[in-house]
Amino acid sequence: MSEIKKTPAGIDPRGPRFGAAITSVLLLITVFLSLDKATEGSAYILLTVVTALFAVGAIFGNSKHPYGLIFKKLVRPNLAAPKELEDPRPPQFAQLIGLLVAGTGLVLGAFGVANGLTIAAAAAFIAAFLNAVFAFCLGCQIYVGLQRLGLIKKF
Amino acid sequence: MSLDLKVLLVIALVALASVAGLIWRARTGTAKKIHSGEVINLKEIGATKNGKPVEKFGERVTFLQFSSEMCSQCTQTARLFHELEAQHDDVLHIEVDITNRLDLANKFNILQTPTTLVLDKNGVVTSRIGGAAKPQTIQDELGSFHI
Repeated sequence: MSEIKKTPAGIDPRGPRFGAAITSVLLLITVFLSLDKATEGSAYILLTVVTALFAVGAIFGNSKHPYGLIFKKLVRPNLAAPKELEDPRPPQFAQLIGLLVAGTGLVLGAFGVANGLTIAAAAAFIAAFLNAVFAFCLGCQIYVGLQRLGLIKKF
Repeated sequence: MSLDLKVLLVIALVALASVAGLIWRARTGTAKKIHSGEVINLKEIGATKNGKPVEKFGERVTFLQFSSEMCSQCTQTARLFHELEAQHDDVLHIEVDITNRLDLANKFNILQTPTTLVLDKNGVVTSRIGGAAKPQTIQDELGSFHI
């Protein structure tokens, strides 16, 4: 009864990490721009772009995400075959968390909450950076915890 | 804000994330000894293997791996245990998906997946491995059980 269910077709685990590397650079630039009144507007625009990209990943999955397509077309052909394929759902879940955190930053920014955008962008940066550099898997770490808190309900 | 201070803050953020990552990588997948003497009830956890209920523990050691749906490292960890099982007749690996078993997540206080409980031949919990078990951790745990 608790046997692992059938999983969707696997993806190259390096794909989502490649995307996370680009995302973390964009988020770091967002943080930098948000620290100055003169460039706050640019930070807002950049975070809007990042949030929209998270939405694409959360809804359509990493393989249809622009970074996923870049990885498939330009990066993957230059790499050896991966040791094993990965379930596409965990990185998609991570995109959803990214969407929520970055989206919160946009809302806080829109309401003029001091440093709200900076803190949200910094939090999202840390998660993306850990994913890219250390293969940190957000779903592994927090999915069950969120379920236990009642924030995720199955069925 | 001055440029120097902005650059400094950005560098501090990268440093913070790097330190957090290094600490996480050092700690994840290592074993902690458990002395509670808790015995696992195979029926209660609904342990199945190849579609059949598991009724006996491994003669030397059992690795009880709790997994969830949104967990890429669970598959990698399961593969390591499968390899170990293939090499040793007296090692048993059981994987339980707790996505629909929050009672188990609460009972064993599982926050991250995979979380692996190491059981002796009587089903007594002797260690707990949080995160993707490192190959060295698995070897050390196996070595701690003499035949």
